[in-house]
Amino acid sequence: MWLTSKVKQVLMVIKPGVVTLKYPFEPHPAPENFRGRPHWDHHKCVGCGACSNHCSARCILVRDTCQELRIMLYDGSRCTYCGRCADVCPEKAITMSQEFENATGDREDITERIELFMLTCQRCGRCYDMENTNALERLDLRGYRYDSLEARALIRKTTEHFDPNVLKETEKYQRPTKL
Amino acid sequence: MKALEQLKDTLKSKFGGNIIKFESPLEDRLFVDVKKEGVKGVCKELFTQGGRYLVGIGYDNTKRDNTLGMIHTFAFDKDSTVICVRAWVPENDPVMDSITPDVPNAGWSEREYMDLLGMKFTGHPKPKRLVLSDDWPEGIHPLRKEVPYNLVPPPAENVAYQMDECPEGCSVVPVGPFHPSLHEPNHWSIFVDGETIKGCDYRGFMTHRGIEKLCTTQVSYNEVPFIAERICGICGSVHATAYAQCVEMVADLKISRRAEFIRTIMLEIERLHSHLLWLGVAGHLIGFDTVFMQSWRIREDIMWLCEKWTGNRKTYGMIVVGGVRRDITPELKDDMLRVLKKVEEECIVVHKAIIGDTTIHKRTKGVGYMTHEEAVQWSIVGPPARARGVDIDVRRDHPYAAYDAVKFDVPVVDTNDVWGTVVVRILEIFEAIKIVRQALDQLPEGKIITEMDDVIQSQRHAISHVEAPRGESVHYVISGDENRADRWRVRAPTYPNLQGVPTMLLNDQFADFPIILGSIDPCFSCTDRVQVVDIKSGKVNVMNQRDLERMSRRA
Repeated sequence: MWLTSKVKQVLMVIKPGVVTLKYPFEPHPAPENFRGRPHWDHHKCVGCGACSNHCSARCILVRDTCQELRIMLYDGSRCTYCGRCADVCPEKAITMSQEFENATGDREDITERIELFMLTCQRCGRCYDMENTNALERLDLRGYRYDSLEARALIRKTTEHFDPNVLKETEKYQRPTKL
Repeated sequence: MKALEQLKDTLKSKFGGNIIKFESPLEDRLFVDVKKEGVKGVCKELFTQGGRYLVGIGYDNTKRDNTLGMIHTFAFDKDSTVICVRAWVPENDPVMDSITPDVPNAGWSEREYMDLLGMKFTGHPKPKRLVLSDDWPEGIHPLRKEVPYNLVPPPAENVAYQMDECPEGCSVVPVGPFHPSLHEPNHWSIFVDGETIKGCDYRGFMTHRGIEKLCTTQVSYNEVPFIAERICGICGSVHATAYAQCVEMVADLKISRRAEFIRTIMLEIERLHSHLLWLGVAGHLIGFDTVFMQSWRIREDIMWLCEKWTGNRKTYGMIVVGGVRRDITPELKDDMLRVLKKVEEECIVVHKAIIGDTTIHKRTKGVGYMTHEEAVQWSIVGPPARARGVDIDVRRDHPYAAYDAVKFDVPVVDTNDVWGTVVVRILEIFEAIKIVRQALDQLPEGKIITEMDDVIQSQRHAISHVEAPRGESVHYVISGDENRADRWRVRAPTYPNLQGVPTMLLNDQFADFPIILGSIDPCFSCTDRVQVVDIKSGKVNVMNQRDLERMSRRA
């Protein structure tokens, strides 16, 4: 019993042989549908902020520095690569790439930042795809937003009209540390 | 549902005065509202009638009527029903009778709400701290609505959890908080007499990060599946599915049949990889690394298949409320069948090679012994229960997704030890392959996501459970305003199983501790990065790669 088991185990090991890949000495490309590091196409992006609202890791931030200028910042150091941003983008401006070698000592390497010149929609102000039927995907943050790019934090405060005071306030934002 | 009516009558006749009302929003769910005086009696009755204790859910209701709520849930597997006993206590006097003396598995649930909500349970046999860290100040209960989600109280010094007293004649062997045989932080005090284990105490929850609080204050319904998925690195889809099913229940949403089938396939593929992973780990824990290498080699094909289908090796991100995110194309179906065939062949080889191996027999037979009665008493779930003759499986007893359309066996053995767990899990691999094949065969046409038109009403309750590879995950959702849940409770399968481990350890050899604990496939949690705390100043530095490199070079 003992011996037959051992013989079977030897055969089980010998048959497949060595299966270790040569990676990283040889490239090992990811499949086509891979959810790698997301990329923004600044030509297509309209700055609606849907990606930011649906990012469960809260790593896409929106800051309005004035009425016309909106900065979108993607901080890859906290990204979970779920790909929701690419799903909800109404303009298909976000694509999940095949890049998976994202380890770095400097988070700026995996930060993407776009500055957008914004116009205000005559019909609905600044908002995204209000015809979106799914009640679960309504935006809970609309209008002008002032996330802290310095602290890389989402600030749950929006205003209907651009407010320089709120902008100034949020500059001093710090993450909570102690009671 | 005749049994359910009978049960209702029994409860009514026995505790008529204490029962406020019955409510049955779905055919297989029964909510019983009970006055707080009646909780103990009703729970004891349900438990003796054969109810399996699932989990306790405490929630803060102060904003509405100044009460704290406590819900005890029981599953009746033969009748495919879940019964939830709801009770409330006033916020200024939150005292309730403990049901732990009758239902031992409720011990942790009650201790949790002593910590998180400040409730008190009279007659609890071990009212010690469970979830909160040792230096968390008294009087702050993080699950109360007025406590902000990002509260960071000041750290305290010289506080430590007092482990249980060592019995006379025994000595203490500390295991953990970090230990090579345990993959995640947890702390055990093992009381040994010579080499024999005579008792133990456990202190865990070191990586408790308040996900439930976060998801009920910060994010909206459809972001939670991705956070839920990260509760567990192995059975992520299980948590996402259980959560999504809960929300679909409170929203009265019926998802498309195709989405249900794809969920089933996803869950079974996850089970396949998880069983192979566990088999490897179990082999490794008893020093049999051949099994470890080979089962992980076989598993790799499944990982690549998932990468191709879902876009990632793990944390598939497939499940959202209302359906799934990616479809199965005909090419993918062929790929899947090819991989399944290969995996099945290789699993048969592994099965044959290790099933008769005397080394494994010697290390696992009779180890971690727990009788059938004890397993029922402790409400053990999953393969550890099925290895002790408890014939339960949520997929068969409470069918969800498309499990009502596929045929499969539930392997049950009655060896009552770790060996039984090994056998059950190996046999389940073949059952999982069977299920995926059937589901692929019957895959109906249709859309994969069902859109929702209406906002979800507030204050509706739903409970859903899903069979994870290592047991049964239970999720409970109370819907709230602002497009997010008011309360979301997660119970991972390790929660009940870990409470049964002291019984399994009793009178075993100390050297068998890793495999006994490993046999329940414990899933604690993982921390995300290196944190260095300077004890003198209490300052926290997060170190990056460069700092670590510099430090290691200096050393």
